[in-house]
Amino acid sequence: MLSRVPPQTLRILALLLVLFAVLLFFSTQVPNYLNGRLFNRISSSVAIMALIACGQTLVILTRNIDLSIGSTVGFVAFATGSLITNNPDIPPLVLATYSVLLGACFGVVNGLLVAYARIPSIIVTLGTMALFRSALVEYSDAKSITTNNLPTWLVEFPNTQLFTIGTFQFRAAFVVAVLVVFAVHIALTRLRPARKIYAVGSNPEAAEMAGINTKLVVFFTFVLAGALAGLAGFMFLARFGTITVVAGLGFELKSVASAVVGGVNIFGGSGSVIGALIGAILVDLIDMSLVRWQLVSEFWREAVLGSLILLSVAADAILMRRLVKWRVAREKKQTKSGVSS
Amino acid sequence: MTHFTKLTTAAALLLGTAGAAWADGHSVSLTPGEEINMVLLPKFLGILVFDQANEGAQEAHAELGNIGELLFVGPTPENSTAGQIEIMTTSATQGQGAVMISNNAGDQIVPSAVAAQAAGTRVVTWDSPIPSGEGEDVFVAQVDFASMGIVMADMAHSILGGAGQMAVLSATPDASNQNAWIAAMEVALEDEKYAGIELVDIVYGDDQAEVSYNRALALVDQYPDLGVIMSPTTVGIQAAAKAMQDEGLCDKVRVSGLGLPSEMVSYTMNGCAPEFALWDFRDLGYLTYYTAYGLASGQMTGEIGETFNAGRMGDFTIEEDPGRPGSSRILMGPFTVYTAENVEAASN
Repeated sequence: MLSRVPPQTLRILALLLVLFAVLLFFSTQVPNYLNGRLFNRISSSVAIMALIACGQTLVILTRNIDLSIGSTVGFVAFATGSLITNNPDIPPLVLATYSVLLGACFGVVNGLLVAYARIPSIIVTLGTMALFRSALVEYSDAKSITTNNLPTWLVEFPNTQLFTIGTFQFRAAFVVAVLVVFAVHIALTRLRPARKIYAVGSNPEAAEMAGINTKLVVFFTFVLAGALAGLAGFMFLARFGTITVVAGLGFELKSVASAVVGGVNIFGGSGSVIGALIGAILVDLIDMSLVRWQLVSEFWREAVLGSLILLSVAADAILMRRLVKWRVAREKKQTKSGVSS
Repeated sequence: MTHFTKLTTAAALLLGTAGAAWADGHSVSLTPGEEINMVLLPKFLGILVFDQANEGAQEAHAELGNIGELLFVGPTPENSTAGQIEIMTTSATQGQGAVMISNNAGDQIVPSAVAAQAAGTRVVTWDSPIPSGEGEDVFVAQVDFASMGIVMADMAHSILGGAGQMAVLSATPDASNQNAWIAAMEVALEDEKYAGIELVDIVYGDDQAEVSYNRALALVDQYPDLGVIMSPTTVGIQAAAKAMQDEGLCDKVRVSGLGLPSEMVSYTMNGCAPEFALWDFRDLGYLTYYTAYGLASGQMTGEIGETFNAGRMGDFTIEEDPGRPGSSRILMGPFTVYTAENVEAASN
């Protein structure tokens, strides 16, 4: 049966195994661990990172990287907060659209520089990461957005329970994030224009020869990543309420980690946003569990988090290789037996 | 001197008065109108309390009629430590008269601060000192660090009704002011009065809303009997209060610590954070400016025992820092404890 499963699905199965192992390990180490609360914590917290990791995945698929994504989230969160503070009557959808469009604008800057000025994305986004952050420092004028100035609907939105299964609460922010990730996944697997992203990432020359406008594709992935970061900024504002200039700091690396842990090839061309979603869950789970693991002191946590990420990626890679090998061996055996019969 | 120190501490603690005037001593009145370029260097840019300190410094700058320039420069948040060292070094090269720094680099700032002093730049710390005191002329302390410990212990005591579990949610692991306050609180907790309070954990939210928020929730999950989260940082206390409110935990776990009334008012009114404390950052910036101006213009020597007049805030005396033997400090005080009764008035 396993032989019919495509490699991407296999990879996700392997990831789920690792996720399960991590859960099992920490449940033996941390008291009051395995319960509905853990699910609620992780799901509410991962809602934001899932969107960012999804955007990051799109960019990585085309052999690029977006290091400015954390600064984009921070800027959009602040700008959206400041807009709604000054105009409390703006309807929810308009506000969310504003966030998405603003994020997309940052994506346009990155996209133009990478795709059309042909500057390597790591350099472009390293620059724009600092630029967007400094723009936020200037724009904020050392003020912060505070929860009391935000409308109730916005503050209550992320924690609204849509439905519950047992003690597992499914909250609006998480559901929205998962829906968005699935929508992107379906687009990537079913829609022709979206498939071009994989083509460009696998082999840019071949894609070019096949008549794909590779520049346009790269440009669009940056714009999409910016838009997703904008939506994440909206969610960030709703969840945390207080936005200072440090908002979203470090998200760029966490999103890359989520994507890579989720099996997205850092050299482009392969990976899925579902994988990135599970990667984000895994990174978040490890991070949150480490805080509660008494054995690890504050100063070692980053190191342990890094090691565990490496370990999960390694375990995932080894599992994958084993499975592929086993399958190849089985297929050979089958063809042999097929020939002999 | 020790007698005087005790007196000041006691005054700040019990009466809540600012560093009392030294009745017999001679108080230096600063001559305005000198030309001294100065740099006000916060932990990083974009945090409201540091901007308030800048407002206070600008007020003193105008008052003293300094013809020189007062620069408010700071690193971006992700680059705090390295950025502070760089700005310190640059200021010395530029021949600035004084650098006023809220140190976020621990003792890593020492070499650049020592070099700045050697180049003739006065180094005045405020808000957060240099732990070893090296490379620092004087520390302008917003509050006596030992009494800060007692205040936090007292707030926990009153919230917990005398007995229960407390956890600390701090800023970064190497923020010297927060570390000193937590250490002071641990000392205070040894008193019999607080025998019923158990300090179960200290975690760090890196002064980032999202990290602090998640740390606060992890604390609640880890310690089912937790009664209070003590957060001696304006970012942490606010994030923790929001987390408790979002999860509907406010009737079980209260939040306290140091917070800005304008950010905390709703949580105090709904009971999530019934008590918290803070001092006036404008005053802190104002006093720091007077001190730095006095030192850089040569009107003050910075020796222990020296008394000077800081404009509208009155007289202050340089004393030995009880928490850092061999270093000197100026004690500002007092702080205000905010409750449902006074928070609304203060938040406007």
